[in-house]
Amino acid sequence: MSPGRRSAPPLRRPSRGWPWVALQVVLAGSLLLLFLLPIYALFTYASPAEILSAANNPAVREALWLTFYASGVAVLAALAFAVPLGYLLARHPFRGRSVVESAVALPVVVPHLLVGLGIFLLVIPGTPLYRFTTAIGFPVYDTIWGVVLVMVFVSAPYTVLAADLSFRAVDPRVLEAARSLGAGPATAFLTVSFPLALRGIVAGLLLTWARAVSEIGGILILAYTVYPGGIYGGPVTSTISVLVYNLFESGNLAGAAAVSSVFLLIAFVLFLAVRVGERSGWVPWRRGELLP
Amino acid sequence: MTTWSVEGVESALDRFHLGPVDLALPPGRVTAVLGNSGAGKTTLLRTLAGFLPLARGRILRDGVDIGDRPPEHRGLGYVPQGLGLFAHRTVERNVSYPLEVRGRLDARDRSRELLRRFGLAPLAGRRPVQLSGGELQRVALARALAAEPELVLWDEPWQALDVEARHALDLVFEELRATERIPVVVVTHDPTLAFSVADAFLILRGGSARPVTDAATLLAHPFDPFTARFVGFDNVYDPAALAAAPPGSLGSWLAVRAGPEGVAFARPLVAAGGAGPGGWTGVVVAVRPTPEGLAVTVRVDPLRVALRVAPAPGAAPLVVGAPLRFDVPEATVHPLG
Repeated sequence: MSPGRRSAPPLRRPSRGWPWVALQVVLAGSLLLLFLLPIYALFTYASPAEILSAANNPAVREALWLTFYASGVAVLAALAFAVPLGYLLARHPFRGRSVVESAVALPVVVPHLLVGLGIFLLVIPGTPLYRFTTAIGFPVYDTIWGVVLVMVFVSAPYTVLAADLSFRAVDPRVLEAARSLGAGPATAFLTVSFPLALRGIVAGLLLTWARAVSEIGGILILAYTVYPGGIYGGPVTSTISVLVYNLFESGNLAGAAAVSSVFLLIAFVLFLAVRVGERSGWVPWRRGELLP
Repeated sequence: MTTWSVEGVESALDRFHLGPVDLALPPGRVTAVLGNSGAGKTTLLRTLAGFLPLARGRILRDGVDIGDRPPEHRGLGYVPQGLGLFAHRTVERNVSYPLEVRGRLDARDRSRELLRRFGLAPLAGRRPVQLSGGELQRVALARALAAEPELVLWDEPWQALDVEARHALDLVFEELRATERIPVVVVTHDPTLAFSVADAFLILRGGSARPVTDAATLLAHPFDPFTARFVGFDNVYDPAALAAAPPGSLGSWLAVRAGPEGVAFARPLVAAGGAGPGGWTGVVVAVRPTPEGLAVTVRVDPLRVALRVAPAPGAAPLVVGAPLRFDVPEATVHPLG
């Protein structure tokens, strides 16, 4: 008789301690409910017809476009400015580094309404910064630049942090090998450091985008209404978060829920696209490496 | 063919001083830098490669001091500890990297030729993470040679290699020495492996360097306890251990022949079965079979002495606790210090 035909003895699993497992399930499950129930409430408050009509409403579309446009610019700004800062923190020990690190953490801990107020005080008419930004064609108050500025302020730290951690994880000896093989410092950065840190940086940029797109506090003060100007051709609108807030304030609960649902659906589709990208091999990362 | 020399090189880090180090590096010579962890081996290579500032001294390439050039303009290939391969590139694109950054149009052809030469052609499309230790070594060397270096600095080539791969690496060094005629400086803390490939030895200890010697000189004159142990002397005693020996013992006999830092002698060979004459008697404390016979440790109060007993088919086995007679030939005893 072959060994495979013999009936296998039952596996002897070590005890898992059921009360302990049950406690974890109850605690973790409660939090999951808190995450999911409000989303459920949003989708079910407005009827599908109302959601569809919100999606077709020009005012909603304008607000959506502005929000995605501004958040896209904020992500590009994070790529341009936050990645170098992360690299600096990771690679060059300098005097006062802990001060810089605290400054990077500041936007995460400061209430965002205060952020808006702070920037507002800097750029109100009469200040030097007002004259400067107006002169160079970047007026901030009630323009898309104001939206972008607030978004970058509150969301760029996630990219700085992710870039810092990712660059730290690159073995300096690999860089030394590249230098010795003939690459100058800039070439070594572009061909070795950056590609090796890219996965973490992209994950950071995704977080930055998610944070930027959901911002309202600072925008309420600095760019409650957005007028055409600079890179934004119009029409007069507001970000989607401000739009929802307005609908809620005016007592239009169904409208607020419908617009929120449209926004959530779009965010969900984007989330799904990243997942599919991870799985398909279109991006050089596996599932779960970009999004949790 | 380029001749390199290192003259009085010193490197000053926060709490560590290296040097002065002098090295002559004619074409094809393999120089092994030996020393314990923290002796300054990697510091020396990184200083030569241009990653650490040169406090003093000169690095001469054909008589021209390159000590203030950036790493990419030194014309040397530095293989760091862990090899420093690019995890995000395939084997082929690792090897072609130095050609790509130089904008060489023949990058593809030249790297394929190197892949063939090192038997890596079937692995061209793999990533480093998919290769074995020996394959990684060959990729690192092929990549270093693609840059056409005039000197190769290699940190711990034998690290994390299995027995087979270590053997294959000897052939790689043969390639560097005979075909490429490139001088090589190789860092290791494994003297046995260094002896198998190197022509010259630089010993570092706490940042200071001994003059470069060859293997025969090193074995004939192990200058201090560290070096003696390093090159394979199993019996090394410091003066304090010898001073404790009673008169008439092996210890006091050695004390007369010791230098200021003690004495070293190779494993005395005992005839098959442990029979025969001998001036000293020890008590066996450990026995281990080896291809060359038995490696035996005996206690000769207050010393422990390592011996070699020739293989003896049919002889009574040597047991722990048994007495064993042996001689220490005077010619094998080296004063230290």
